[in-house]
Amino acid sequence: QITSSDDGSTLPGVSIQVKGTTRGTTTDANGNYQISVPAASRLVFSYIGFASQEIPVGNETTINVKLASGTQSLDEIVVTAQGIERDKRSLGYSTQEVGSSMLAQKSEPNLLNALQGKVAGVNISGQSGAPGASTNINIRGITSFNGSNQPLIVVDGIIFGNDVNVTGNTLFQAQSSNRLADINPETIESVNILKGPAAAVLYGSRASAGAIIITTKTGRNQNNKTEVTVTSSYNVQNVYGLPKFQNEYGQGTNNLFVNNVTTSWGPAFAGGPTSVTNLQGQARPYQAYPNNVQDFYKQGSIFQNAVNIAGGDVNRNFSIAIGNSTQKGITDLSKFNRTNVQIGGESRLNNGLKISATGTYVQTVQAGSIIGNGGSAFGQITRIPRSYDLAGEPYQDANGQSIYFLTTAANPNWAIRNSTLDSQVDRFFGNFTLGYDITKWLSVSYRVTGDTYTDRRKAVENIGAARAPQGSVTQDNFFRSELNGDLLITAKTNKFFLEGLGANLLLGNNINQRRTQNPFVVAEQLTIPGFLNPSNGSVFTSSGETSTLRRLVGYYAQASFDYNNYLFLELSGRADQSSTLPTSSNTYFYPSAAISFVPTDAFKIQSSVLSYAKVRASMARVGRDADPYLLNSTYIKTTYGNNLASITFPLALGTPLAGFGLSRRIGNNTLKPEFTTSTEVGVNLGFFNNRISLDAAYFFTRSTDQIFDVSIPNSTGFDTRTTNVGELQNRGIELVLSGTPVRAGGFKWDITANFTRIRNKVVSIAPGVLQSGINGNGFTGITPSIVAGQPYGLIVSTANPRVQSTDPNAANYDATGQFTGQIVINPTTGQFATGIAGQAVSNPNPDYMLGINNSFSFKGLTLSALVDIRQGGQLFSFAAADYRNGGSIYVTGIDRDQPRILPGVIPITAADGKVTGYRPNNIQLSAQAYWAGLGGLAGEGSVFDATNYRLREVALSYALPKNLLNKTPFGAISVGVSGRNLFFYAPGYFADPEVNTQGAGNIQGLDLNGPPNTRNFGVNVRLTF
Amino acid sequence: CSKFLDVNVTPNNPTAVPNTVLLPGAEFGTAFANANELNRFASTLTQQLAGAANSPQNYDVYVHSGADFGNQWRFELYDGALVNYQQVIKQADASGSKAYSGVAKIMKAYTYALTTDVWGDIPYSQALQGEAILQPRLDKQEDIYKGNQTAGIQSLFDLVREGIADLSATSATKPGNDDAIYKGDLAKWRRAGNTLLLKLANTISRKEPALAKSVIDQVITAGDYIKTNADDLNVTFGASVGSRDPRYEYTNISSFKDDLIMSTRYLTLLQGLNDPRLPIFFTKPATNYVTWDNGQTGARPSPVTTWSRYNSYVTGANGEGPVRLLTNFQRAFILAESALILGTAGDPQALYTEGIRASMTLAGLTAAQIDTYLAANPKVATLTGTNAQKLEQIITQKYIAFTGNGIELWNDYRRTGYPVLQNSQNAVGFDGTRPVRGLYVSQELERNPNFPNPAPQTNVKLWWDVD
Repeated sequence: QITSSDDGSTLPGVSIQVKGTTRGTTTDANGNYQISVPAASRLVFSYIGFASQEIPVGNETTINVKLASGTQSLDEIVVTAQGIERDKRSLGYSTQEVGSSMLAQKSEPNLLNALQGKVAGVNISGQSGAPGASTNINIRGITSFNGSNQPLIVVDGIIFGNDVNVTGNTLFQAQSSNRLADINPETIESVNILKGPAAAVLYGSRASAGAIIITTKTGRNQNNKTEVTVTSSYNVQNVYGLPKFQNEYGQGTNNLFVNNVTTSWGPAFAGGPTSVTNLQGQARPYQAYPNNVQDFYKQGSIFQNAVNIAGGDVNRNFSIAIGNSTQKGITDLSKFNRTNVQIGGESRLNNGLKISATGTYVQTVQAGSIIGNGGSAFGQITRIPRSYDLAGEPYQDANGQSIYFLTTAANPNWAIRNSTLDSQVDRFFGNFTLGYDITKWLSVSYRVTGDTYTDRRKAVENIGAARAPQGSVTQDNFFRSELNGDLLITAKTNKFFLEGLGANLLLGNNINQRRTQNPFVVAEQLTIPGFLNPSNGSVFTSSGETSTLRRLVGYYAQASFDYNNYLFLELSGRADQSSTLPTSSNTYFYPSAAISFVPTDAFKIQSSVLSYAKVRASMARVGRDADPYLLNSTYIKTTYGNNLASITFPLALGTPLAGFGLSRRIGNNTLKPEFTTSTEVGVNLGFFNNRISLDAAYFFTRSTDQIFDVSIPNSTGFDTRTTNVGELQNRGIELVLSGTPVRAGGFKWDITANFTRIRNKVVSIAPGVLQSGINGNGFTGITPSIVAGQPYGLIVSTANPRVQSTDPNAANYDATGQFTGQIVINPTTGQFATGIAGQAVSNPNPDYMLGINNSFSFKGLTLSALVDIRQGGQLFSFAAADYRNGGSIYVTGIDRDQPRILPGVIPITAADGKVTGYRPNNIQLSAQAYWAGLGGLAGEGSVFDATNYRLREVALSYALPKNLLNKTPFGAISVGVSGRNLFFYAPGYFADPEVNTQGAGNIQGLDLNGPPNTRNFGVNVRLTF
Repeated sequence: CSKFLDVNVTPNNPTAVPNTVLLPGAEFGTAFANANELNRFASTLTQQLAGAANSPQNYDVYVHSGADFGNQWRFELYDGALVNYQQVIKQADASGSKAYSGVAKIMKAYTYALTTDVWGDIPYSQALQGEAILQPRLDKQEDIYKGNQTAGIQSLFDLVREGIADLSATSATKPGNDDAIYKGDLAKWRRAGNTLLLKLANTISRKEPALAKSVIDQVITAGDYIKTNADDLNVTFGASVGSRDPRYEYTNISSFKDDLIMSTRYLTLLQGLNDPRLPIFFTKPATNYVTWDNGQTGARPSPVTTWSRYNSYVTGANGEGPVRLLTNFQRAFILAESALILGTAGDPQALYTEGIRASMTLAGLTAAQIDTYLAANPKVATLTGTNAQKLEQIITQKYIAFTGNGIELWNDYRRTGYPVLQNSQNAVGFDGTRPVRGLYVSQELERNPNFPNPAPQTNVKLWWDVD
């Protein structure tokens, strides 16, 4: 019989295997098993989430085993690359597993968000509180200038597309999902994060940013019983993280009421006018509306229901999972509804043939409103004067046109309903595997996986919208499909020349095809208000299609050896041939080696303090191919302009006129693959009978030959050229400390801390190039960039000029060094002197991240709380500039009638105009001039420290005692309450800094007027039949 | 498996295109560059417009940074119009279609002139070479205008002359409707080319009077230049979204439409001259013109619907424009100035009157209305006083006639100091003075080490700007 060492409960479905063979069985519902084995064999007992054990059979006829579970388990079985289940002790690289209990029922329908703070070495950041908004994830830093730095996602062996498809422009789109959001967290058995290239090398190029291996629940462990699990939860969402406002001064400038300005620099309510005339000529009381921003947001809700049915045993099993999540966002019309249906099963025939398959259909419906500076609801809500009754004033007239105090923007209540994006994703993904054991040491399998979806979108700008005053209807359809075929041949022996030396050999072949198609129809200049069909448009010139097709063939091999279960060596290699590289250089090979050693076993250390020790080291190199179609220069349809004014060919003249021009990018038909090499050393330690364990890793990665569109002077006639250049480095420390400080009676306190510190550096870009923009959309003067010698992703913008003491030729030179670093003040205005464009002003990378999860359990009661700390990093915020400039946040109301002085120094100039010295600034400014002077949109003044401490997640659940359920049909019942983002503290910023309007991707740390975050809490129930 | 992997040809973009689509893309690039942000800047500096918000408000107090004209330098001029004129010339020369070369050379010269007139020394002889020259050097404005054989720099004059010669060569294909300007009328292109020579000569005439005179003399002798309004080099836009003149967009449509308002000083000038073009050039939605003084602070006039803005003469009724790049009135004023200052052929007074008439006719006034105006306003009609005073009259009339083309206004103002413009209120800027050059855009400075560091500030005069 197999039992849990934690609570003595029996464990059904434990896998028992005769070591070195494919022979095996599983335990039944009562944890019992029977197996007949040759003499002198060893049995391996393994169970996901539990430490495996290996026991020599000898002459015993009954072997009872206690398996240890829990987060501090050091020897558990984990799923590694290509679905290979491995004993964790044998791994020479870092992986980290998160079990279903850490993900399900946490008030969070998005898996990536649910992983926040739970994995070391991983940077996960939500982009906003909009329903379905994407979530960015980077494992061990950024390794590619231009390529995707999101890890490879694998779900049950299926390479799973996680793109963020963008309609229009990331500056102005509605926030779209990353497609991992199509996964229902309730179906997940475990998530294993393969952090470094060494761990992921078998997946090839695409895993150079790490891999996330998701395993869904199967019937494998049901032991011929069918179990039905029903989960249900209901959560409410409220806006959280808005700044504190002042409520003493209303709309206007220079202490005068003005009815068409966004600023609250008007007269004080106390003693000011009692009634004013608005832009529409109506009299309105002049008073504060303290909640005019808060009340713009509604209460949202998330209602999730799921049924999982699983049955069978390790040889024959099936599972069915149906789930639905219905989310209403905090703004009108916004929603994220997802329905999943998954069917899977496997069968192991007596003749050694194994068949398994899963198939999942998902429908995801998302609706939201466009974001961005100025012309969106979110671009206006930060500019509402304190005296504007947003909720009380009508937002539209009888013709459905916006009523507002501005003529260049729409009322936020109008915009939120009239500038929208709807998306419907229909997705199917599945796998089919056929395996055959040729002999007891040799097996072969072929796996086919497919993942395909269409995302049918409609983006609407109703007539009168700020960004498209004559209206537009865009139909934007994304199709993506990925097919993979993998041949896997495995051979294993437990006596490879030597007694105690085991060997596994794996040979594989992968054929991959990815196809995308994105036809879009943009119908502009609508005629009939409210008729939102492309047939209503008069101009269609922005329509088109973007398609890609790429293929890859890979060959891979892995040999792994273990010696007496304490010394392990793994050698892997893969060669890829990619369609996206020039024929001459499209084949590339990369190897990895990993070693791990368990001295506590090797030297039979029996210590009451140190119970387990493992040291490990690995080196790997991974190549990465290019995106499709970078080899040639092309022509593009001619367009000019931006949101000030623009034209797009073909022009609607008397006769339509077509126009094309040279693409701004110069192609390169000598591209080579880019490479990342990584070195990792680590240690796993267990203390006090593994009550406390530490997993520490240090890694260093070096990424070279980056395939990058290097910025070149525009006077060449081009903007960029694609080439292999540059080098990126990441070094980092990951610590996972877990322990059980208290285990007494029925009470248990578990604590897990995940610490991540990554230092990323752009070592070089290209000869003569010190900075270059990252691909993506940016505002003029605010360029997410790589800068040589600096971390990835700095925002290059306008900096205030500062006194410096190093360069005598500099405009602001101070030989004494006394004023070095101070901001130079314009002697006539008292404002900061004219800024210097092209300076790195903001660094979005945190210094370190720390997630601490405490879990307390007593009998059936479990309380867990996750505190998430992000120290350092900066946010570039338009909202902040709006709020300060506009005099609406709390600090701008303090001592408003007092003059103030900007920090800085005034240059003292001689008669010849030369600067001879500096004096402290003493020029007094009004509050309005002062707050405006601190910085407008495109400059250093918009940069804030994004440090934040957050109570990320709290969950309380109660499992009813089994004896209560004996007379019911239920096997288990648990009920719980949970909350997310319950509290945060951000000392450097007056709102929630965990936002990024650009969405998941390489551009981070920009709040260019997007939706705020939410605080969620709710109740949940889980029933098992 | 090589066939399996041979799928890397893009279906999204063509890899070769004919001149029939390159030429219009480039022509509209020149017009767009002239009328878009550069016009918001130059028309504010020259006080036809006043800045009410955002960038124009900064321009109005002479605040200008290297971030302002990134789009213009990068995507409208070098990577927009210029590189594609170059490509048209390359393809036309290869296929024996000299007519396309001729048109493209004239427009390329025009566009380079626009570029150097804003920024001074610019990449020219080494520019537009793509990977062949990744860091083009700057050529001196003097060399760009005059040429420099030792440095291998062709003068703009020679580039235009080459273009004019190409127009007469045999040509396998000729532009037709794809030529958005003259619909392939090569005779009109020839006249435009010669008129461009006049404009270029006029621009450098203070610095190089002898060269200017010789160029103008040659053009007058040949006599093949723009002589009627019908021959104006105009780029006409469309009336629907995505096809409209940028001035229409930022005056009437976009969310930046309230950045600009008519300048009080322009109103004062035109009212002082009783100019009948005022209501044609600017709107008057309220009882009186609602304007704003340059650099004025405080609450803007309300409601914004009363503001005086560019009228359909500038923007077109529905956004058609046109952008007027070379005009008959301009030619007349240039010849009037040259006759007066350089002593070229012609009677300054007659040419001056011809310029006023051409402009007023273009504005839609009848001959009778023009006669009446000139008769009633002898101070306008007759050149009087010193040469400087006469020049002021000529340039002032050119200034009014060119309403909507800020680049030309700014060029003439920097060159001659006319019309006399008082500084903006509350001027800040680099040293409180009105910019006399555009700042190099920050991206180019970052990427091209050939640019001077530190770059010249807004108060450093261009080569042709002698005082």
